[in-house]
Amino acid sequence: MSPFRATPAGYVATWEPVEREVLARVARDVAGLLSADSGLPADATEAEVAFTGVARVPRDPAVQRLLPDAHREDADVAAEFRHLTQTDLAAGKVARLHRFAETVDPVEEPVTDAGDGDQVLVGRDAAQDFAAALTDVRLVLGERLGLDDDADVERLHHEVLSGFGPDDADTDADADADAADGGEGSDELDPEQRVYWGGVFVAAGFAQESLMDELLAELRARRAGQ
Amino acid sequence: MTSGATQEDTRTEAVSRLADPWVTIVWNDPVNLMSYVSYVFESYFGYPEAKARRLMLQVHHEGRAVVSTGPKERMEVDVQAMHGFGLWATMQQSDAPAAAGEGA
Repeated sequence: MSPFRATPAGYVATWEPVEREVLARVARDVAGLLSADSGLPADATEAEVAFTGVARVPRDPAVQRLLPDAHREDADVAAEFRHLTQTDLAAGKVARLHRFAETVDPVEEPVTDAGDGDQVLVGRDAAQDFAAALTDVRLVLGERLGLDDDADVERLHHEVLSGFGPDDADTDADADADAADGGEGSDELDPEQRVYWGGVFVAAGFAQESLMDELLAELRARRAGQ
Repeated sequence: MTSGATQEDTRTEAVSRLADPWVTIVWNDPVNLMSYVSYVFESYFGYPEAKARRLMLQVHHEGRAVVSTGPKERMEVDVQAMHGFGLWATMQQSDAPAAAGEGA
């Protein structure tokens, strides 16, 4: 995966086929999870949602993070906000995730000149949505990976970049502790899954960071010129 | 103490309560990139680079920052936009304890 660079046509990066496929799949999975858990009808288009969607508080903690309470103490304010905004927010995110997936891994490969098959081209008008879709993907992965603070994220980066998970002794101790308290452990990723999804999280962050560098530079240049 | 002064106080209090603005607060999370948060503050709110950076660092180091102030309806729009961007945001009346700029 190469960083995004600004070109006249938009922002361009080179992703390996497996990177395109995996990031598209996880984006489509997040879209499906979000639809199901926020009360959107499974196959609704964006326009139908306003009439058929019924907002309810998501059960999945990852979806709760994408659609959080808007007030910390006042449940009525939070409920009213959810009632007014949730179907629009969720439908917007779902549509955006599908556009992201289609950009990085088109279902039907367009006929192109040879040699640009691994290029991901993000148009200037689409870049903010592309970055926001990456955010939603990373938030869901971060929740699944148990990333609660900056130290967790640093540890994950170290694990992924060094190619190893936590050593076996630690893993066994954690597994025993989880078995002992009888809960939560069933949701935890095993070390292999953790390294795999950790790798996806780090790659998505790399892509987003390079895109944000270009977006910020162009935004600031545009505003300075006004 | 004269009754005139008391009336004056009551009036002032009523006016300030009417004007009581709400605030939008963005909370820290370990996933969002500092560059992305800066981009949101600069592009959505139109804040200058320095102000966006100061707010972004306040979120990062202090755990939260008040990013906008105004009537409740306006804050609903801002919170919805922040949730759209994937930032963790809430709103509350500005006299509530957590709206103060510092302290936990």
